Amino acid sequence: MVINEQKHDDIDIVILSGRFVMADAPEVRERLKTLVEAGQGKLLVNMESVTFIDSSACAVLISAFKAMQLKTGRLVLVNSPIVQSLIELTRLHTVFEIMPNAEAAIAALAAG
Amino acid sequence: MLAKPKSDYDITLTIRSEVEQISLLCEALHALCLYASGSAECAFAVQQAAAEAINNVVEHAYHNQPDNEIVVGWYQEERQIHIDILDTGLSMVRLPKPILPDFEAESSRGWWIINASVDKYFYQTICDTFAGPVLHPGGIGTDFKVLENIPHTNILTLLKRF
Repeated sequence: MVINEQKHDDIDIVILSGRFVMADAPEVRERLKTLVEAGQGKLLVNMESVTFIDSSACAVLISAFKAMQLKTGRLVLVNSPIVQSLIELTRLHTVFEIMPNAEAAIAALAAG
Repeated sequence: MLAKPKSDYDITLTIRSEVEQISLLCEALHALCLYASGSAECAFAVQQAAAEAINNVVEHAYHNQPDNEIVVGWYQEERQIHIDILDTGLSMVRLPKPILPDFEAESSRGWWIINASVDKYFYQTICDTFAGPVLHPGGIGTDFKVLENIPHTNILTLLKRF
C-alpha cells in the first residue's frame, strides 16, 4: 500500500495505491484520522489504484466517515472497480458519497 | 501438530500467522483458482473469501500472535474447488450467520463477504481422539474449552464451483 497526500485549496486528498487490507489498516486509519481532525471538513479518498480490498479497509473508511460526520464535513470516495464491488457487496454505497473520478470529486467538494 | 494429513490435498500452502503474510497466500490461491477454473471471477471470489477467513484466523484464533502456523489445503474435484484453512488456535463454538451489520459497526462484515463469495462453507474442530460436529452458518457446536490444552485442528472449508 502506497499512501500519497495532496491538497487542493481546502480539500484534503489521500491517494491509496496497491492492496488495502488488514496489514495496511492501522496506518491508513491513523492518516485519515489526522486529516479529519486537522482538515477543513473536506476529504477525498482516491482508491482508483487500489487493486484489492478487504473488510478491514471498509472498517477504516467507516471510521473516517463517522469522524467526518461529527465535524459536519464531507468524505468522498473515488473507487477502482474492485473497491466498488466490495463497497456494493457490503451495501456501503448507500451511505458513502462516491464519485466516478477525482475531478468530479474535487468539483463536488469545492461546490460545498 | 495438525490432525489432518497434508496428503489429502493437491497443494498445501503454509504461512506464519502474521498479517503481512496473508496477501501473499491469497494471491497464490487466486493463481491456483485461475489456473483450475479459467475464470477470473471465480479466482477473485476465492481470494476475497480466503482473505476474510485468514484475517479471522490471525485475529481471533491466534489473537494476532505471529508465532503460529496457518495451513491452506487446496484441491480440485471436477468443477469444484475445495479449500481448507487449518489452524490450531482458539476454536469457534459457533459459526456466525452471514448477517450484514448496521453501517455504524466497523467490523463483522467478513462472514457476509465469505458467504457471498463461495458456494458453501463449514467448520469443524478435530483432534486425535475427538471430532466435533461440522458447523454450518448459524450452527453451534461443543464448548471447546476442554480442547484449549489438547492438540487440535480447526478447519474452515470453502467450496467454490466454476
